[in-house]
Order: sequence, then structure tokens, then C-alpha cells
Amino acid sequence: MLATDMPSQQNEDFMTILARLEHWREQGAISPEQHSHLASLCRGEPFSLFLELNVLLYAGVLAFVAGLGWTVATWSQQLGDVLVLAILSAILAVCFWYCFSRAPAWSLAQTPAPSVLFDYVLYLGSLVWCIELAYLENRFHVLSGQWDFYLLATAVFFFFLAYRFDNRFVLSLALSSLAGWFGLTISHWPSHQDSAYRQCALLYCLLVGLGGVLLEKRGVKPHFFGTYLNIVANVLFWALLSGVFNRQGYWVWFLALLLACGASLAWGLTRRQFAFVAYAAVYGYVGVSSILIRGMTDAIIVLGYFVFTAVAMLVALVQIARHFGRQE
Amino acid sequence: MRLYDASSEETLRARKLLADWAGEGMLTQQQYRRLEQETVSELRTTNIFLRLILFLFTVIGVGAAAALFFVVFLSSPSEQGIGIFLLIFAVLCYAAAEVAVSQARLYRYGIEEALAVCSVAFLCAGMQAAFFRVAPYSPKPNGFQFLVPAAGAVFSLWIWRRFGFWYAFLAAMVFAVFLPGYWTSSHSAQHMIVALFYAIGLIAVAAVRSRHHFDCVEDDYSLVEALLWLGIYLAINLQLSSLDLGARLWGGSRAASEFARPFYWTTWVLIWVLPPVVLARGVRQKDRFVIAVGAIVAVLTLVTNKPYLGWPRHTWDPALLGILLTGVAWFIRRWLARGPGGIRGGFTAARLSGKDKQWLNASSAVLGLVTPQSITPSPQATNADVHFGGGASGGGGAGGDF
Repeated sequence: MLATDMPSQQNEDFMTILARLEHWREQGAISPEQHSHLASLCRGEPFSLFLELNVLLYAGVLAFVAGLGWTVATWSQQLGDVLVLAILSAILAVCFWYCFSRAPAWSLAQTPAPSVLFDYVLYLGSLVWCIELAYLENRFHVLSGQWDFYLLATAVFFFFLAYRFDNRFVLSLALSSLAGWFGLTISHWPSHQDSAYRQCALLYCLLVGLGGVLLEKRGVKPHFFGTYLNIVANVLFWALLSGVFNRQGYWVWFLALLLACGASLAWGLTRRQFAFVAYAAVYGYVGVSSILIRGMTDAIIVLGYFVFTAVAMLVALVQIARHFGRQE
Repeated sequence: MRLYDASSEETLRARKLLADWAGEGMLTQQQYRRLEQETVSELRTTNIFLRLILFLFTVIGVGAAAALFFVVFLSSPSEQGIGIFLLIFAVLCYAAAEVAVSQARLYRYGIEEALAVCSVAFLCAGMQAAFFRVAPYSPKPNGFQFLVPAAGAVFSLWIWRRFGFWYAFLAAMVFAVFLPGYWTSSHSAQHMIVALFYAIGLIAVAAVRSRHHFDCVEDDYSLVEALLWLGIYLAINLQLSSLDLGARLWGGSRAASEFARPFYWTTWVLIWVLPPVVLARGVRQKDRFVIAVGAIVAVLTLVTNKPYLGWPRHTWDPALLGILLTGVAWFIRRWLARGPGGIRGGFTAARLSGKDKQWLNASSAVLGLVTPQSITPSPQATNADVHFGGGASGGGGAGGDF
């Protein structure tokens, strides 16, 4: 029989988690109550459907909003503006009434949602807000196509909702709306080139990063800081890489990329947030490689470079994993 | 057969559970520190981020080394020569993966995983180049060309058994999909053969799994069983197992005439029968993966039913589906919550593990960024002057192409 099929016959040290719990109880390391509770958890008694129900709710909200948006886009003329706006406004009003009437008192610290449905009702309201705003501008041209103002207003509104109701979904919507505002604003400029987008991306990083740091230092929803940091890191690395890929004047961007990689690596190692180590390794490798093999035509040198650097990266990462990254 | 000692894997599992329980306050920090000392494993593991980048750089290194070998030593090689060397690389990669585990005791470390994956890729490419000169899936394939995906499937299964990589099992399932194409041109027969492969696998896995309770091996088999259920469903759902899936789902139905009528309608019955069977199995076993697959195939049945019957789609169909999903989730949650202690039939809607919260927090941040772009489908051409959708600029769907 295979080793995995009958482990207990082949390995006397083999202990399932239930046997271990029994052993720890006998040792007195855990109390009988703890043993009973943890053993029943291991046996799936009770079995939690928390994650599955949340995923179902999320998928439901998403499918509903997709269908709503599609229906409004397709049938708005037949339905008429009044009916469309009435339906959208009614959904919006019900969602926000539900959230504001049931939300706990605001607190600087992390606040759990009053119910499982709460976060999804808020998310539904936020997405329906977007559809209604889009419909209003599309039909009535209230701001004469100035979409950047809508995006800025939406971002501000979503930031308010995210902080009022302590919701990461809506915080991400706010951050993406703000990024959209930056992007759309540039598209109105007479000559919007890559460099303009890059500068705006850096400005976005600066603004969001500083905002995140400031709020964290003041203790305002400090658990949001990770979301800010991850978004800022990715936008920053993309912006710097786009500068490194330039044919001219790329050295300053390359230097900035190295600095950013160093900072990301240091942050990741000291805070044990290994996503930042991964960012530094991947973005840094792409940037350095693009500089070093630029203009090379000899396949042997290029391939040799990849063999050598991949091995070097592996050695460095294994050392990092040994010293810092053992725990899951 | 397995490279890892069962007790080492079980120790690692116990260590993770301890961390989870301590995080949830079910153990004191003092208890956690003490028990942590008793769950020290000799296996060398790392976190998911380092694992991913170690995998990436190993693939880059191995791929570049193989290419460098061909460039330096084989200036104008024959196809067979390339194939033979690729087979040698497959052996070398596999041997290196074995050494990485047996000597360095790597466990889900990225490096040994990449080496094993590269060995499968080199094996298939090498066999193709060395023994079969005709391009794959050409109109006149070599009679024995099916040996390439067959070898890929068998070797992937071996790697799954030896190393325990679930994605190797998935790769074996994918290789199995290509096999019937070499044996018969009948699409119906191809679907049946693939479903039969998976059904045999399912019976075998269910038989072996029944001997394991509450150990780490059971978790592995749970995922594999879920994959097999999903595979069977995808093989029998004729609306999904097609390359032009998007066009079929949104543009119209797959012509029933493409298949024999009895076969077509039998598969329609089966796509309605399978979801409750899978869900019942998952609930009975209290198996998270199988329950998830049951829910997924139930949604897929609802999504593909209209194309199956040849009925037209409506723009409000997704909204109705959304209401149904939300309603089901809300009803189950309330029904469970009203049970004594919030428990009914051994199930609860309450959160019992810190991992669930971590998953939700991470996914909410990521999905909040990506969903605005995906929720608004492109408008239909029939209403040219009412044109909104896309949300390309990311602002919660309030995008630029209104």
C-alpha cells in the first residue's frame, strides 16, 4: 500500500491533528474545554459556510448590477428617462437608507459590519450610483461631458462611504475612481504623452501614499493602510518601469526604480509583508534586465544573462526565505 | 510513492492550524508558543509570495539554460536531435526536483515545483519533436501521436502522486481532453470519452479517499475530487466545452444538429442532474471544495440553459441571476442563524477561521479595483444612440465611453 494511503502503518510518529489535540490535553497544554472545541472544529462540527455565503452574495450583487446596467443601456429609450431614473434612484435610496440606518457609531478603529448583508448592500449602492451618474450625463449632459468632474466627485463620495462604513470594497472603488480622474484629466490636455501620464501616476502615488500615511499616523482606520500601500506600490512601479523603457533619459527613472525596489524590499522584510519583496524582485528584475540587455543581439549573451541572473535571484531569494519568510 | 513523510506534512498542517487558532483567540499566546515548539517539521517551506517568485525565476533559469544549450552546442540540429535533448532535459529537471525534495527538504517552495512542471513540458515537447514530425492536430496525424498527451497525462499524474501538487492533477485532466481527438472524429464520442476518463478517476479517488479522515491527505483528495466533478460537468455541458464559448453564450446557442439529438438532450438532462448530486455529496462529506464546485456548476447550468434550449437571452437575465444568488445566500444564512446556537445539521454561517477573514479582506481590495471594468457589458448594436458601458477608466463603471 502507498505511504500516503496508510501512513499510520509506516510511520509511528504519524499523528493526525485529532491525536495531537488528545495528546496536548493529556499533557495539560490545553484545557478539556479547548480540546473539545478545537477537536470539533477539526471534524467540521460545525462546518462554517461563512466564506461560501459571502462569495455567493458578492457574485449576486455583481450579476445584478451587470444586468441592471445592460438593461438600462439597451432599453432606456423604450423605458423612458423617468422610469429609469426612478428605478435607479429607488435602489440607491433603499441601499443608503439601509446602510445609514443600521451602521454602528463611527469610530477611528476597525468597526465590524452590523450584518453580513451590510457590506454588499453598500457595494450595490455604490455601483448603482455609478450607473445613475453615467445615465444622467449620457442623457442630459449636465456637465457637458466633463467626466473628470464626475470621477472626482465619485471618488470623494466613495472615500466618505468607505471611511464611514469601514468598507474595503468601496475604498478600492474610491482609489480606482481617483486614478480614473487623473487619467481622464490628462486626456483633455493638448498633448498627452507617456511622460504626462507618468508624472500624473507619480502625483497620484504621492497623493494617495501621503494620504494613507497621514491617516494611519492619526489612527484613522489604520487597517486601510495596506490597501493604500499595495495600490501605490503597483502604480509607482508601473510608472517607473515605463520611464525605464524609454529610449532616452531613462537613467533617472532607472535610479528611481532601484530606490523604490530597495524601499519595497526593506519594507517587506521589516514588516514581514512579502508581497513587497515580490514587487521589488519582479519589477526590479524587469527594469534591470531591460537596461542590461538593451541593444544586445547576441543570443548567447542574452540567454547567458538570463541563466546567470535567474540563478543569482534564486540564491538571493532562498537566503531571504531562510531568514525571513518561513512562516505561511 | 510519495516523497514526503506523512507525519511531516501532518506536522506542518498542525502548525498552521495552531497559528489560525491563536489568531482567533482560541489559544493563549503562551499556549501557542509552547505548542509551536512541538510542531517543528524538517520540511523547508515558505510563504506564498516568495513561493511564486521562486517558481518564476526557476522557470526563467531552466528555460534560458535549455535554449542556451541549443544555441551553443547545436547550431543546425535536426528535429529529432532537438527532441532527444529535450527528453534529456526532462529527465534532468525531474531528477533535480527529486533531489530538491529529498536532500534540501523543499516543500511547496516554488523551486521544486517549477522543476517538476518544466520536466512535463520538456517531456511533451521532446516526444513531439523526436518521434512525430507532423504538426500536432494536423489533418493527418500520426497514428501514435496520441502518445504525447498520454505521456503528459501519465507523467503529470505521477508528479501529483509523488509531490502532491494539485495542479499536476489538473494538468493531467487537461492532457486527457486532447486524447479522444486522436481516436475518433465524432464530437459526441469525444465528450463521452473525456467524461468517462474523469468518472473513472472520480471512482478511484472516492475509493481511496474513504480511508482518510481528518488528515492532510484527505484535503488533497478533496481538491482532486472537486476538480474531477468540475471536469465531468464541463465535458457534458456542450455549451461550455467549446472554444468559441463567448460567442455561443451571448450570441446564440450551439446548434443541436452538431450532435445526435438523443446525445444532445441527454447532456441537457445531465447538466441539471449533476449540480444537486455534487452539492449533496459536498454537504454530506462536509467538503468545502466539492460544495464550491456544486455551486459553480449550478450557476453554469442556469447560465447555459437558454442557449441549450435555443431560447433568446435577455439583458435582464444577469440581474435575475443576481437576485437568485443573493436570495439563496440570504435564505441559507438566516435559516442557519435561526438554528440552536446558529447551527443546523452541523453547518453554521458564522466565521470560525481567521483565514476566511484574510481571504475576504484581500479579495475585497483586489475585486473592488477590477470589478467596475467588468460589470457593464458592451451595449448592443441595436441601440446606437444610447451608448454607455465599459467603465474603462475604472471609476466604478463611470467610464469614458458613454
